Amino acid sequence: MRFARYMGYRLVTALPVIFGIIVLNFLLIHLAPGDAASVLAGESGAATPEYMDALRHKFGLDQSLGMQFLTYVSNMAHFNLGYSYRNDADVSSLIFERLGPTSLLMLTAFGTAVALGIILGLVAATGRNSWRDNIISLISLVAYATPGFWLGLMMIVIFSIGLGCLPTSGFDTVGAGHEGWAEVWDVARHLVMPAVSLALFYLALYARLMRASVLEQTGMDYATTARAKGQTERRIMTGHVLRNALLPIVTIAGVQAGNLIGGSIVVETVFGWPGIGTLAFNALQSRDLNLLLAIFFMSACLIVVINLAVDVIYVMLDPRMEI
Amino acid sequence: MVMIVQPEPSTLAHYAVTAGNIPPIATQIYEGLVTYDWDQNPQPNLATSWEIAPDGKSISFKLREGVVFHNGKPFTSADVQFSFMEILKKYHPFAPLLLAELTGVDTPDEKTAVLLLANPAPYLMKALAGRDLPIMCKSVFEGTQILQNPSANKPIGTGPFKFGQWDRGQFVRLDRNEKYWKPGLPYLDHIIARFIPDAATRSAALETGEAHFAGYSAVNYADLARMKTNPMLDTTMKGYEMTPALSVLELNAKHPPLDKKEVRQAIAYAIDRKVILRDVMYGYGKPATGPLSSLFKTVGFYTDDVRKYDVPDRLDIANKLLDGAGLPRGANGMRFGMHLEVNSFGEQWLRQAEYLKQALAIVGIDLTLRSEDTATWLRRVYTDYDYDINEPFLSQGVDPVYGLNKQYLTSQIRKGVTFVNDSFYANPEFDGILNEAMREPDHDKRAVLYKKAQQILAEDCPLVWLIDVQYVSVFNRKLRDHTTGPLGTQQAFERAWLET
Repeated sequence: MRFARYMGYRLVTALPVIFGIIVLNFLLIHLAPGDAASVLAGESGAATPEYMDALRHKFGLDQSLGMQFLTYVSNMAHFNLGYSYRNDADVSSLIFERLGPTSLLMLTAFGTAVALGIILGLVAATGRNSWRDNIISLISLVAYATPGFWLGLMMIVIFSIGLGCLPTSGFDTVGAGHEGWAEVWDVARHLVMPAVSLALFYLALYARLMRASVLEQTGMDYATTARAKGQTERRIMTGHVLRNALLPIVTIAGVQAGNLIGGSIVVETVFGWPGIGTLAFNALQSRDLNLLLAIFFMSACLIVVINLAVDVIYVMLDPRMEI
Repeated sequence: MVMIVQPEPSTLAHYAVTAGNIPPIATQIYEGLVTYDWDQNPQPNLATSWEIAPDGKSISFKLREGVVFHNGKPFTSADVQFSFMEILKKYHPFAPLLLAELTGVDTPDEKTAVLLLANPAPYLMKALAGRDLPIMCKSVFEGTQILQNPSANKPIGTGPFKFGQWDRGQFVRLDRNEKYWKPGLPYLDHIIARFIPDAATRSAALETGEAHFAGYSAVNYADLARMKTNPMLDTTMKGYEMTPALSVLELNAKHPPLDKKEVRQAIAYAIDRKVILRDVMYGYGKPATGPLSSLFKTVGFYTDDVRKYDVPDRLDIANKLLDGAGLPRGANGMRFGMHLEVNSFGEQWLRQAEYLKQALAIVGIDLTLRSEDTATWLRRVYTDYDYDINEPFLSQGVDPVYGLNKQYLTSQIRKGVTFVNDSFYANPEFDGILNEAMREPDHDKRAVLYKKAQQILAEDCPLVWLIDVQYVSVFNRKLRDHTTGPLGTQQAFERAWLET
């Protein structure tokens, strides 16, 4: 009951935050010089003033900023994300068709990175200054310092051009008409390289963080007390240290998970992955405001939800905290 | 067959948006009244024959029997009338140039369409291919808001391929049109247009055989040398004969000292076009000699009998002109400073800008480069006119009317309109020649007029013409008969086939 009340309270207080974000985004976007009509006409190579006026009228850009804002807010209140005139399509359908590939890539990469990062960090910390600690530290340093796009291109050179075992880019083999497990296998083959190049960076981050965090906790008084009570190192690690060491990981993972929906422009570009990152980037470049605002809005909602989830996970990990 | 199209089009509304990445897909679906042979003579397509009235004020087309649209509706003169009058004339970005004289379309019977013109429009016969003036199906558009029509992204035409599917961010799939009016064609079952944003990955997709064709310089010039060593791949420069384009510098004559002809000429003399060609364009193209692309040589409109800026003593001339204009070098060796607006459409323009900074410094002009995103750049240059020198890339269309009129006529100084006369060039004598050439039905007389126009422009130097651009296609050797005419990538792959 208390939990439900708490959740209700958090969700209600989130509404003004989201509204504020909508207002701020809307105003910020309108500060950018140039508009969708001029970009569209620019790409066409020529246009008449009448044509550009017609475009502006169609896009609603000939109305006052206040009117545009009212229209936008009223659309949002009706859960209508608007229409992308540049793409001649509904914003919701544009985002929705990218949501699957984006989540697949980001969750795979992020999940792998967090899980493997925690394990590697733990392994490194428990054998401090041993050969395995050194190897893991070295690898994570290199992975952390390597730019994702370079790694991606090198993988394409090695695995696609050199060995010919993985496809260079895309989400699946276009026109192959795979079904069922064949399609799953096909997508998985396309997923490997983008996921790896994205995961490596995060992996390095979490491994280093976990190692430091575990080392810090093992030096704390409660660990010494447990050791004095005669508990085995394994039991101290799993029963006491691990829970506490995970808290910073959850904090950082929570912050980064908020970026998930934004996708990764770099990796999406290199591997031609149909993600939201490039959609947002193109929308910004072409001043496709409805589309851009909708992506911002979805990110804002996701961050609110994730913050809530992080707070709940804290409580589960650390009984001293209360909701 | 998989082809690479770069960048992904935002829409397939070919009749209302003329971005260069739309025709490679749209011309598989939409066709024009005529097509063109290698000598750029019109050949029958949706029209089987035509007759231009002696006064040049009407063109009568006999239309082909037995053509059906992808939705099953037969193709008739009503479609031609609707396409020209209700769609193209009203919404096509080039309509104010190409269709300015069009007053109506008569349809005496189902298979005859007569374009009625206020004045002769000799350039129109060059612009009737599916790329420039496509024919749409009347029943699809009638009674709807043209710009909001759902067929924008699910196009319905008469072409050899039907629209199949568009997965945004990935590909467009086109399917063979079983009922195509050319018997036995097309050969391919599908065309897949893939979108790969990263240039290195695009090259890789060709090298692994995942893609078979990349036209319109979708492959970086820097990668072409490597591509050529691959036994699986080949390149061609054919298929761009009707796609002339120049890279230029626009000089804002409202910003002194660019109002002085001598200063503009000095800038033109100061630049070594061969360096740009070698280091920025990797050797693809030619140094531009004047305001028209040398591709117009085929039809007899191009001349290089103009003031030449690529001469051995060009630096001396430039320095003398600047001295003569009362712009001596200051203490730091510089005469004056200017901003150069860097073209936002790709990295090569930044490289060109870097060279220009070096080249102009030699004659004492201190350039500051300014890079902004596309929308900001276009607004600064074409709406706010808050620029000194701009480095756009100008498409020249199929006839001099297109490239010259919109860039140099006084009437084309139009605030807020992109890629028109933003250098404030105004010369009544020149305007007169261009307007006369536009309506002159006699080809040879037109050629004389355009020669004169090019000489005037080269002398007045409102722009600096840099490179006559040459596009390149990269293709897999297994793909045959892909480039069958001067429109190349921008006409249907109806005869293309894949060797197995």
